[in-house]
Amino acid sequence: MKKTFLLHLIILSLYAAEPISPIPLDVEVDLPKANLGKKLFFDTILSRDNSTSCFSCHNIYDGGADSNIVSVGVKDKKGNIQSPTVLNSRYNFKQFWNGRARDLGEQIHGPIQNPVEHDMDAETIEMRINKIDEYKKMFKEVYGGRHITYAQVIDAIVEFENALVTPNAKFDKFLRGEIELSKNEKEGYVLFKKNGCITCHNGINIGGNSFQKMGTFQEYNEDSDFPDRSKITANPDHKNVFKVPTLRNINKTAPYFHDASAKTLKDALGVMSKHNLGIILKDHEVEDMIAFLKTLDGELPKILDIK
Amino acid sequence: MRLKRLISLVIGLGIISSIAIIYFYIIQKDFTKQHREFLLSLNTFKSAHIDLEHQILQSSIYSYHNQDEMAKNISSLENEYNILLESKILKDKTYTKVKKDLQGLQKGLKQHIRNTQNYLMLNASIKNSLVFLSNFIEEANFLQEENRDLFKDSWRILKNFNDAKLMQDIDYINHNSFLLSSNLKDEKAQNFISSFNLHSNFLIKNYPPYIQTTKNILGDNIKEKLEEIKKEFSKLALGDFKALDIFASILFSVFIFSLLFIIILFLKYLRENKKLQKTTASLEYSLTHDHLTGLRSRAAFEEKLQGTAKPHLLLANVDSFKCINDIYGNDVGNIVLQELASIIKTEFSDIKNASVYRLGGDEFGVLFDDIKSQDAFDLAIELEKKISEYNFLIYELSLHLRVSIASNFIAPILENTDLALKHLKQDYTTRVLEYKEDLNLKTNVEENMTIIEHIKLAIKNNNIIPYFQPIVNLKTNKIEKYEALVRLRLTDGMILEPFKFLEISKKSSYYHYITKAMIEKTLEMAKEFPQYRFSINISMIDILDAKLLKMLCDTLKANPEVANRLDIELLESENLQNIEAVQDFISSVQKYGSKVLLDDFGTGYSNFSYFSNLDIDLIKIDGSIVREIEKDKRKLHMLKSIHSFSNGMNMKNVAEFVENKEVADLLHEVGVEYAQGYYFGKPLERPLDSDEVLKLNPLINL
Repeated sequence: MKKTFLLHLIILSLYAAEPISPIPLDVEVDLPKANLGKKLFFDTILSRDNSTSCFSCHNIYDGGADSNIVSVGVKDKKGNIQSPTVLNSRYNFKQFWNGRARDLGEQIHGPIQNPVEHDMDAETIEMRINKIDEYKKMFKEVYGGRHITYAQVIDAIVEFENALVTPNAKFDKFLRGEIELSKNEKEGYVLFKKNGCITCHNGINIGGNSFQKMGTFQEYNEDSDFPDRSKITANPDHKNVFKVPTLRNINKTAPYFHDASAKTLKDALGVMSKHNLGIILKDHEVEDMIAFLKTLDGELPKILDIK
Repeated sequence: MRLKRLISLVIGLGIISSIAIIYFYIIQKDFTKQHREFLLSLNTFKSAHIDLEHQILQSSIYSYHNQDEMAKNISSLENEYNILLESKILKDKTYTKVKKDLQGLQKGLKQHIRNTQNYLMLNASIKNSLVFLSNFIEEANFLQEENRDLFKDSWRILKNFNDAKLMQDIDYINHNSFLLSSNLKDEKAQNFISSFNLHSNFLIKNYPPYIQTTKNILGDNIKEKLEEIKKEFSKLALGDFKALDIFASILFSVFIFSLLFIIILFLKYLRENKKLQKTTASLEYSLTHDHLTGLRSRAAFEEKLQGTAKPHLLLANVDSFKCINDIYGNDVGNIVLQELASIIKTEFSDIKNASVYRLGGDEFGVLFDDIKSQDAFDLAIELEKKISEYNFLIYELSLHLRVSIASNFIAPILENTDLALKHLKQDYTTRVLEYKEDLNLKTNVEENMTIIEHIKLAIKNNNIIPYFQPIVNLKTNKIEKYEALVRLRLTDGMILEPFKFLEISKKSSYYHYITKAMIEKTLEMAKEFPQYRFSINISMIDILDAKLLKMLCDTLKANPEVANRLDIELLESENLQNIEAVQDFISSVQKYGSKVLLDDFGTGYSNFSYFSNLDIDLIKIDGSIVREIEKDKRKLHMLKSIHSFSNGMNMKNVAEFVENKEVADLLHEVGVEYAQGYYFGKPLERPLDSDEVLKLNPLINL
């Protein structure tokens, strides 16, 4: 028993050599469904005043997030938190900053029904979608039946989101042994591990697989009031606890953090090293780490090329 | 009736047990499936839990590692829990407790996951700080020379932190010596101290919750609770399995019961069937076989005859078999028949295409298919010989039988053979006879039918008429009397003589109409010819016919004048067996002046004893005597004797069939009073007005 356990550990330790894994080159996606979802993703009829689409806050051509501090929804209402990227979101263990949705299917109701985002309801969406012949035709092809349901709309969008993966980042290629990193990039990755960033930012999404407090080492912005983990768990210790965000395409998703307080990667590194690591990075270290982070930019999702 | 009920019972049982089996199958399958699914789900959940522990262990070992697996693990733990809670089997009331226990697990599970997440959070920062500190101290090698104590202290503190983590014991760190301090004004040293202490403080602050969280995770009792739930579930399921077992046993019993019933039914059916077959066989046997002799019966014969292409029949009949029965009793008769049957059977057992039948009481038939007529005849002769030589020994009685055997192959087989046999019976000299068409044995049934038709028609059309034959007084040579003789006039005017129809009519229901017509018409004629006497023929049948008798008496009574001249001829060709009735009749007609005449005396049943009992007035001497008196002296003597006897008894004689002068003269010579016959005159439609004999036949030579 002990022996097998040890053997198991040894094997595991081999696999655990690199704590980051590359995005697979092929993800299984129901294409017709995803294409339908894609059309919906870009369609503003999913918002009360026809002003807002999913794309409004998730620029999937450039990082999948919003460059505004907070996103603007219907009637120019503002949200209360920085919009996280939708790219590679299928690899997140939970959705939303505070992880209140278990998966994308659960998550999507949030922005659609949120009065400051899409401000919609299932009936209105069904009514609107069913009026449009093109949708009727497309839904019939994908789902059969005459009436388009809200559940089908959700399902299609989720499938599209599942297709939003950005493979072939330089770092992924490195992990696969296809290329070498530059000296700076390599140095940055070592620092990333050595300084402990890796303890939270690991896995396929380099983050997105655990909760962590913003300011473990040194309290961060104690007086702020964001929808953090404590809103879910009612545990005061969970103040400022959020889902660890992905670092993939981090170069394109500024501003950073839930409060968009960091405008640049350098700022973000500064905040993180101070509050979560209790270290002070030297300039050349910051440069190296930024070089590393930039290797995490992936290719645009294939689905976006399909017309 | 009982069988019917039994069958319904079995069918009912069958249907019930079939339904029960299907029901049981579904229930059992469902239950087993749900049971299996639940246990599977429970195990999956358990292993997800173990996996999570494994992940936690990993994360505690490695400074950093890929946490994706753990995230997945937590998610699947939650999923499995929900699946477990939704298990179909838990919807059953029996498992309420299991469900409750499982629901009770929810809080603990949620807490466990939270604890895990908290642990990860704390573990991450503690690990980071520890890594940081070890790097930090290592990089601060300037201390080795400048402030060795500080350097050593920092290592000591780090070691203790590491030990505390390994030991998970707060006692290693819970004191002030974990912070560095120095009086050195060296900026570098001070910076080192402040950075170090920052982390040290962080660790001091976070170790208690970290260790507590670790304890919480390790102290998690989900596994134990799951074990309890599993035990509880198995206990309850055992009850269900037992119930299923009992149900199966009952079902099995019902099945066996039904099977038993079916077997009983089947046996019963077999027995009934056997019985039925036996009955059928015996019925068939008794239908086609004679009970007494074991030979095949008449029915079998008829059936066989139809299927025989070239039939030839021997018909054997025991002569005077009735006498054997009468004298020795039926028992002996039966034994005789049995033995006879066995003789015949043995006789023909070796002959191809021959079958023996008992066709009647003492009548046996041997039917051949395709045999030469002569061969059959020879066989018959052989058989007759055998039987006639056979000594029947019965109850110490020794009997000899004679049989007559008719042989025939001409259709209709049985009828023709029978005719030949009947013919044979009248001939004591011949024992075996072959039927031939030229034997002329056939009674013409058709002719008889035609005659009956004629009789019917004649009665209807009043065509039964009397012809009158004159009776001459031989002394006076005058016609004194007419005998009314019955004639039947056909529609075409032809006249039928009585021998053509009278015998047949006697066997029909029309006879008394004929007598009646004769009485009435003769009466009319007698009225017309008061100078003559008349006579009518009355048979024994008439005498026994009370209605007719009354009619005759009434007529005589109503016509006293005619009655005086109307004589009754009693047909003596018939046996006057009922003497008393005959005498009563004689007395009653004599009362009205009728005279009674005994007809046909001298042949057949003629009996002198009649005269001692009956008051006969006249005797008619039979034609068979009268006709030949001129040639046959014996007949003449008989005539004389009868006449002298009659005279002695004070009775006159009439001689009939007088056909020539010689006879007439002889009769006159003997002294016979009256005569009739063609010599004097044929029967006429009407009597002659004159009583002169010459009017009748001018050739009469008196």
